[in-house]
Amino acid sequence: MSINTGRVAGDMLYGTTLSAESMKVIAESIGVGSLPDDAAKELAEDVSFKIKRIVQDAAKFMHHSKRERLLLSDIDQALKVRNIEPQYGFTANDFVPFRFASGGGRELHFIEEKEMDLNDIVQSGAPKVPLDITLRSHWLVVDGIQPTIPENPPPLSKDSQALESVNPVVKLEQGVTKDAAGKPATGKIHKLRNVETVHVKQLATHELSVEQQLYYKEITEACVGSDEPRRGEALQSLASDPGLHEMLPRMCTFIAEGVKVNVVQNNLALLIYLMRMVRALLDNPSLYLEKYLHELIPSVTTCIVSKQLCMRPELDNHWALRDFASRLMAMICKNFNTSTNNLQTRVTRIFSKALQNDKTHLSSLYGAIAGLTEMGAEVVKVFIIPRLKFISERIEPLLLGNQMQSNTDKTAAGHIRAMLQKCCPPVLKQIRRSPDYTEEYRNDYGFMGPALCQAVIKARNAPPSTTTPTPSSISNAPITSAAATASTVGRPQVTQINSSVVTAIPQLRAIQHPSQPPQKFVIVSQASTQQAQQQQQQVQHIQQHTQQQQVAAIHQRPATPQSVLLTTQLNGSGGSGGSVTNSLLNISDRASVDSNSIIIETEEIRAPPELDDLSHLE
Amino acid sequence: MSSNSGNITNGGVAPPQEKRDLLALLKLIKKYNLKQTEELLCREANITNKELEEVNDIEINTLLTSALGEGQDHQNGLAVGGTGGSGNDPEIYEAAYADLRNFVEESLDIYKHELSMVLYPIVVQIYFKLINGGFSEPARKFVEKYGPDLDHYYRDDLQNLLMITKRSDLENNDFVSAMEQDKFVIRMSRDSHSLFKRHIQDRKQEVIADIVAKYLHFDTYEGTARSKAQCDVSSGSLIGEAKRGDNKIRVYYGLLKEVDYQTLTTPAPALVEEEDDNDPDAPDKPKKKKPKKDPLFSKKSKSDPNAPASDRIPLPEMKDADKMEKVKALRESSKRVPLNKDSLPSVCFYTILNSHNTVTCAEISEDSTMMAVGFTDSSIKVWSLTPAKLREMKSAELLKDIDKDAEDINTRMMDDRTGESSRTFYGHSGPVYRCAFAPEKNLLLSCSEDTTIRLWSFHTWTCIVVYKGHLFPVWDVRFSPHGYYFASCSYDKTARLWTTDSNQPLRIFCGHLSDVDCVQFHPNSNYIASGSSDRTVRLWDVLNGQLVRQMCGHKGPIYSLAFSTCGRYLASGSSDHTVLVWDLSHGQLVASLLRHTGSIHTMSFSRDGNILAVGGLDCVLTLWDFSKLTEEYLSQSGGSSHNPDLNDSETYLLRSYPTKSTPFLALHFTRRNLLLAVGMFKSS
Repeated sequence: MSINTGRVAGDMLYGTTLSAESMKVIAESIGVGSLPDDAAKELAEDVSFKIKRIVQDAAKFMHHSKRERLLLSDIDQALKVRNIEPQYGFTANDFVPFRFASGGGRELHFIEEKEMDLNDIVQSGAPKVPLDITLRSHWLVVDGIQPTIPENPPPLSKDSQALESVNPVVKLEQGVTKDAAGKPATGKIHKLRNVETVHVKQLATHELSVEQQLYYKEITEACVGSDEPRRGEALQSLASDPGLHEMLPRMCTFIAEGVKVNVVQNNLALLIYLMRMVRALLDNPSLYLEKYLHELIPSVTTCIVSKQLCMRPELDNHWALRDFASRLMAMICKNFNTSTNNLQTRVTRIFSKALQNDKTHLSSLYGAIAGLTEMGAEVVKVFIIPRLKFISERIEPLLLGNQMQSNTDKTAAGHIRAMLQKCCPPVLKQIRRSPDYTEEYRNDYGFMGPALCQAVIKARNAPPSTTTPTPSSISNAPITSAAATASTVGRPQVTQINSSVVTAIPQLRAIQHPSQPPQKFVIVSQASTQQAQQQQQQVQHIQQHTQQQQVAAIHQRPATPQSVLLTTQLNGSGGSGGSVTNSLLNISDRASVDSNSIIIETEEIRAPPELDDLSHLE
Repeated sequence: MSSNSGNITNGGVAPPQEKRDLLALLKLIKKYNLKQTEELLCREANITNKELEEVNDIEINTLLTSALGEGQDHQNGLAVGGTGGSGNDPEIYEAAYADLRNFVEESLDIYKHELSMVLYPIVVQIYFKLINGGFSEPARKFVEKYGPDLDHYYRDDLQNLLMITKRSDLENNDFVSAMEQDKFVIRMSRDSHSLFKRHIQDRKQEVIADIVAKYLHFDTYEGTARSKAQCDVSSGSLIGEAKRGDNKIRVYYGLLKEVDYQTLTTPAPALVEEEDDNDPDAPDKPKKKKPKKDPLFSKKSKSDPNAPASDRIPLPEMKDADKMEKVKALRESSKRVPLNKDSLPSVCFYTILNSHNTVTCAEISEDSTMMAVGFTDSSIKVWSLTPAKLREMKSAELLKDIDKDAEDINTRMMDDRTGESSRTFYGHSGPVYRCAFAPEKNLLLSCSEDTTIRLWSFHTWTCIVVYKGHLFPVWDVRFSPHGYYFASCSYDKTARLWTTDSNQPLRIFCGHLSDVDCVQFHPNSNYIASGSSDRTVRLWDVLNGQLVRQMCGHKGPIYSLAFSTCGRYLASGSSDHTVLVWDLSHGQLVASLLRHTGSIHTMSFSRDGNILAVGGLDCVLTLWDFSKLTEEYLSQSGGSSHNPDLNDSETYLLRSYPTKSTPFLALHFTRRNLLLAVGMFKSS
């Protein structure tokens, strides 16, 4: 029984005292060699008691400072109240050792001070001044309703949204008391509820207030409308507003329906806008999207693997959309994959099935590869590498200049090759042993073999950091630029830049036209495919290094008297760097564009000529 | 000492001892002048007076110590203190307690809960006795065995209790002295009490009977025994429950009769003719109280029977500037938004950013134009909440040039060039725990860990007076709503009443058994409420310093107090996360409002008294329907007053609003019923 009660008591509280051993250790540290057991025990009890009393007092100071965390200063004040010297020196972050010196019968303790070079201090510049204490006001509540502004916490925390989606019963139970929790509700509903005793299942939770309806309308219009700055604001709002969860189902339905309609109509621009909305929702920290994945994932998947996403597949840069959507998918998998929904497995299965099937359309094939690539190196190793030979066989005839082939297929094949050349070498480098023979590669991977071999050799020689792919980082740059294009072809082809891109940057920047606002547009110039193809083959090894260096921009279209900004992808991860027309690059994306792409001005430009639905974007 | 000698006598008589011992004993008896025993012993042992004289005091002492020492060896260190003659044996205590507990457990359900309330004080007293007797190990075992059975709110106390492990620890300890000095009050129905008494007598448990007689006070009432919930609401304080006798004195909780504002409002020139007072900056002449509530206007003609006479305590004269301010306030309040459950207030939240846990308090002036914030670095920062800048007074030379009869003298004497939107006071040498604006808006009080209270001027922006009196950190300071008086409270277990023009306190309110954590003036300035770490709320009469109400029920230290606008109710917020509402007319608990999950440091009643706003460290603001609460209370009161039946607090909750990790420091209703809240952003 005593053991039992002892355990209960232990749960309950009490009785921790310092051990006599620790007393002895402390005694030794100050030079008292052999402390008798009795004395140590006595001391331990006494010290424990005193420490507890001091901590108890310190807690009072903590409470009166309206804190819930005990600080050193509280202990100091508790000591002071009991007329004990406070413990100095604990506020410093570093251990400050005392030095001891004696001489002439005097003893001295001092802190050793380092010599410092004044020059260093002067040159390092003044440290940042800490921010001054400021006062900021906002509306916590307006007429009894808490506005959902960023200063206020989200009306429904992410945790409770999660709980709700996992266990819907919770919501029903909450229904009764919910309006007391500061949820926006109209006064009328509130009044009614006070009177009624029967609880009808509430429909009000799906009801949007007039303001919310307006907001929804504004946001959706702005997101797919023509006004780019406004879209930027709308996306910003989607990405940061805390109170969106009420209209989240509608947003998701909007996106899902929008994708369905626009895929049929091959409206690339709108698909891009919708994907950007998905991106914004994913960025919002207060939303719990899990409930709506069933709508979002098919939409995103559609944008990755759909056979046709644009009116003119041979010209429009739908590749960028596929890349962007792939990154979104990777992000979704990363955020929401659990052992119960097996999201990543299921998505990977969809993509890999497309790879198995030799009837898959080339665009879809590209999408599937892109989607798998973004999932990371392991997925590439398991699903893409074994299929390399098969893919090679499919694209080989297209690339090797059979005149009968359509342009579209040829472009697609080119993109697939570029994608594979980007994603495979880092993996191949790890799974194959060192001497790389072109022949072996050709045997293993078919047509792609030699190029891959080159790339692997290159990767082995290069410092490791440059070769690692960074699929997880997602940037808007390529998609914006791509969205802008909708009427362009293929990959960026920068003419006559045959030195390394890095060295080219300053010059490129230098020649940038001053009157041209850089975000105004983006380019796309794609070499006439055939010629480009030939040149590509000539300079294949360069291409593998940085795709931007693909040669040859021979502009097929009539030039317009505008200048073109050519964005190319520096890190090569986006794979788009495509030609882009203006005005789609929104302000909020600027930073990422700058960091990821070089803006090159060339002397020629094409207006996006035959874009019906995008013409307003000018 | 009689028990002492009795003890020795027994020891001497039973076994035949050496003669010297007997002699020493006799000498001792003689010393204590116990004639009969002496004669008896002399006769029995055949000792003559002569022999007795040979024995000196040293021998007595050695005998005594050896006797006691033997006792200690014999009973494992027993009877050092020798307080109770018999039964210092831990087993006796434990057996007695176990018996008592059995009795409580087996008693009828209706009495059980009341009876179980005696267990806690008895456990504590037994522990003290055991510690006093030197049995620290059995004492610890005893509490660990029986402690968990007690109510959860005694947990902290038991923890405190177990810190005491030696007799020396018993001295100079708040908790011990609280339990020793005052009797622990237990309220019981007469039936339960007689049941208990009978049990004590029947079982002849002397140890228990002794404790009960010495340390317990039973406050009995006629009627049925209380339920568990009813027992729980009123218990929990360091001294048990409040005795009904404590709360018999009449409290004039009504509001003072207001001056007739109609005369003030309508003819503005009427003010000018009274303008004979040309001393605008005498700090000790505060103004009359503000019109606080609407009901007051409607019935200001009738005099409230519960209101104290307006000259019950001398109040300062109203100055012209005060009257002007009052008129302004009255005009403002006519634009007030009536609040009720259907029209809830708006809340403007002021967040203090970049403070890194250095903010200790915040305060908003009555007219909502200024905010003062106290910091741990001993500074006080004052912000202007309106576009008006905070100005300094002009220098003496420039002041000379001002026309003293000018109507706008108050603005003229301020120097426009010094206008700033925030200013800082430096002067304290420790964290500032509370600030208080004077009702006349020209002064600020602050109290600090450095044991001083300082008075600051908004004209010169300097410290004017340092009030030294408290010996320990001062936790709270409040101005009287009529100005001039202010109250403070401290770690030294006292609350004090001061006037601004004297550096000595007028009253010192002693009685709390632990820190006094907060004080609050009654709206009629005749009473001061104080809340303490001994978990009681007390109401003191300013006139005579008497304790007029003592209210128990909190289970933790009390950190905030607020009087309702009608003056009848007092709300107290505690670190036990509850807000209790008390009726001052009888000192009775009206409601217990539990929703928060953190200590409650600020509360405020709306200006019309319909809504109580509560802010806690849990970053949640709650609004409670106070008018409904009082209505329901008044409709059901009149019944038995000793066992309040509380309604579910959820029914009074209107809304709760969370903030983004910003605990509440202050709440304030403006005259138009806009709620202002202040919080410090907690950087993670």
